[in-house]
Amino acid sequence: MDSTTIETNREAATSPDAGLNVKPSSRRSAPISSEALIQKGDVQTVGTVTVENPLFQCKNVDVYYGEKHAIKNVNIDIGREQVLAMIGPSGCGKSTFLRCLNRMNDTIPAARVTGSIVLDGQDIHDKKQDVVQLRARVGMVFQKPNPFPKSIYENVAYGPRIHGLAADRVELDEIVHTSLRRAGLWEEVKDRLSHPGTSLSGGQQQRLCIARTIAVNPEVILMDEPCSALDPIATARIEDLIDELRASYAIVIVTHSMQQAARVSQRTAYFHLGDLIEVGETDRIFTNPRHKLTEDYITGRFG
Amino acid sequence: MIEGHISRSFDGALVALHLRVIEMGGLVLEQVREAAAAYTEWDSAGALRVIEREQRVNAYDRSIDGDHMTLIARRQPMASDLRVIIAMSKAVAELERAGDEATKIARTVLGHGGRPGPATTRDARHLGRLAVSLLRLSLEALDRLEFALADEVIARDRDLDEEYSAGLRRLLTRAMEDPRHFDVALEAAFVLKSLERIGDHARNLGRHIQSIGYEAGVEEETARATAASPSG
Repeated sequence: MDSTTIETNREAATSPDAGLNVKPSSRRSAPISSEALIQKGDVQTVGTVTVENPLFQCKNVDVYYGEKHAIKNVNIDIGREQVLAMIGPSGCGKSTFLRCLNRMNDTIPAARVTGSIVLDGQDIHDKKQDVVQLRARVGMVFQKPNPFPKSIYENVAYGPRIHGLAADRVELDEIVHTSLRRAGLWEEVKDRLSHPGTSLSGGQQQRLCIARTIAVNPEVILMDEPCSALDPIATARIEDLIDELRASYAIVIVTHSMQQAARVSQRTAYFHLGDLIEVGETDRIFTNPRHKLTEDYITGRFG
Repeated sequence: MIEGHISRSFDGALVALHLRVIEMGGLVLEQVREAAAAYTEWDSAGALRVIEREQRVNAYDRSIDGDHMTLIARRQPMASDLRVIIAMSKAVAELERAGDEATKIARTVLGHGGRPGPATTRDARHLGRLAVSLLRLSLEALDRLEFALADEVIARDRDLDEEYSAGLRRLLTRAMEDPRHFDVALEAAFVLKSLERIGDHARNLGRHIQSIGYEAGVEEETARATAASPSG
């Protein structure tokens, strides 16, 4: 059985030196086929990690927080125009991995990220890569809605303005209007654009944050538990929005709600103790997972 | 396979559901056994008991249906839990239909056709035994959720099908030789068909049990579909 061999690999991986036999610095250079790379890992990921025409290609990604090995040799492609859900128990590394994708871990002094993360053919760790530019291309929505303490209009206009996306006020108005409409918020706020963003309800604030993210025309939207502070109706609105947005953007969502992952995503990745255990089409993961750890987690059998 | 959840009440609900399906299976098995015996012994009291008990089978069907919906609504089962619950639901449908066939056989005894001859009775008895043992085996497989037993049920249904064809051929030959009792022969043909159908329901039950198990090859198929050009 597949799963038993994986189990044994896992045990091997917990031995002290496992996984550190490859020098992190050497990993970024030599191009190796993705299959070979996966084989070399501590834990063999079950399922198909590659996609056709990927937007992101992550290879041998390790993250250390000081001594702690938070992400262990993760290999995964992220497709265009689809939602990838990352699930797993608390501390499994899914949020850490999400934060690698727009280099948010750079802001944590003790964090060290190795391996290669290629966005549209370009390594995001390249010296020439401007981080601000990267974060415009790879937008992020957080667990708690965090609008700026400014008007609804300014919240959305801020990004396009600093990135110079609008030549004049008319164009800026247009961007604000489009972004709010795409975020499904326009009808609710069109008469009070000058009101503070914080005057909106939680669900509206979260949609304002999504409008703010899409205003700078990103390629990817990362979402870290975007609905965990929202009621079911506001959650349904966001989920519906995610489904609409995936026609234009790649979306990567971290969620603790497996039902949410099952509802919104096309692909699902299951993390456990820093390892990427299984990746597959959402339809399959939730009906017929192949790895025992995935099965145990999604059926609520974790002891 | 069913137990082991962090939520023990979910374990309890799943085990209770499983038990109810097995209980229903036991009742249907008894229905089939008694209906076949009533036909071969031409025992109208037995046939009446079968027809009366039919309501209990239907009551099981309805109440387990309700249990299924409650479990799905309250627990949003996934993966193997989902497969178990769907398989149980389908198993109940098979059992209910097998129960219907038993009732049909019982009604024959109470009808106006008349008692079949010794040769037909012999064939019906033989086919009845096969159907009962097949159904019992499928219930054991369901009880223990044992895939190897389910495989055996599916394989043994072929024997039943062959016996049915042979029995039907013999019946038709006799009917042609002595067409005076054609109505009796026709009803006998329906009884043999019912017994054969019960075997089919047992076989389907076996298939539903198999569907609980891991489906090999699913990922390989999706991999082939998505990795048309391995650009990784």
